[in-house]
Amino acid sequence: MQPLNILVIGAGKLGRESGQRFVAAGYKLTIIEKNHDSAVKAQELFGGSLIQGDGCDPKILERGGISRAAVILAATGDDEDNIIIAELAHRVFDVPFVMARVNRPENQWLFTKARGVDYAFCPVCVAADLIQTAMEKQLKA
Amino acid sequence: MHIIVVGCGRVGARLSSLLSSAGNSVVVIDKDAQAFERLERTFHGKTLEGIAFDRKLLIEAGIEHADALAAVTGGDNSNIVVASAALDDFRVPRVMARISDPIRADMFSKLGIITISSTIWTSTRMYEFIISPELHNVFSVGSTGVQLYEFEVPNLLVDRSVRDLNVASEIRVVAITRESKAFIPVLGTTFQSRDRVLAAVDMRALEKLKAMLGMIS
Repeated sequence: MQPLNILVIGAGKLGRESGQRFVAAGYKLTIIEKNHDSAVKAQELFGGSLIQGDGCDPKILERGGISRAAVILAATGDDEDNIIIAELAHRVFDVPFVMARVNRPENQWLFTKARGVDYAFCPVCVAADLIQTAMEKQLKA
Repeated sequence: MHIIVVGCGRVGARLSSLLSSAGNSVVVIDKDAQAFERLERTFHGKTLEGIAFDRKLLIEAGIEHADALAAVTGGDNSNIVVASAALDDFRVPRVMARISDPIRADMFSKLGIITISSTIWTSTRMYEFIISPELHNVFSVGSTGVQLYEFEVPNLLVDRSVRDLNVASEIRVVAITRESKAFIPVLGTTFQSRDRVLAAVDMRALEKLKAMLGMIS
């Protein structure tokens, strides 16, 4: 069986960490990154397919093989970019599963199914939840 | 009307001032309070400082009862996101977004957002002015479909009637300016030398109009 294609947009800390895990799990990974230095860093880490460019540009997404992607992860540091990528992935390119990073918790409301986001996650909220849980557990003990 | 303008750059400030001086209730949003200095003296609306797609800020701006929203920040993506929120989450009846990138403008207009691409608009106008200076585009109805053109009546149409230039669903003469006075013609009105004609034209019939005006053979 052909390995699944996964497209990650944004090679920041989150994009790189997730990408590394996808590669380790045997998926075929392509990363799109706008910033030259981050792109070089990611390339050194994975050696796999890397495209330097704006992931909100449909042409760049096509070059990254979005039409063959089973999963897409929009992990840039800009919420508006992540939403645009999700909308394009879902409504123009028919990607089956679209994940998007929420950078600012107050922008969470925009990451809806209607905008093409199947799974939204906010690293700041996740971390805050973990901290809260750990603290409450400690205080109860 | 209650109108929200997102982005107070040159376009946003001008648009807000125009809308406000026409008697509308206008709220303009920008992330930088200094941007509001661009507003003209005719602006009597409200200014709000903050991030364009902050839900609370949009509600404070009165998005729940807004008649229209124009997203004109400098960022294509911010404009698309604000426009889509206004359209889908708040059901604002008229929503427009300025999008510089022609490809994204095309894609998102297919997805239901009315987009204005200054890149397409400016280059089209300049192209027309260079290629056919006799024919001036004065207004676009919708984003592409129908355009209003102004031109001086060519000699071959003098003494002919408006009926001869009208083509069903394609070309319609809507006004004539004669000796500085404009009027709406009837089908039988005959063109006179030096008339300036305003015609609504379906873009697909532009070449036909040019041929009828003798601009191309």
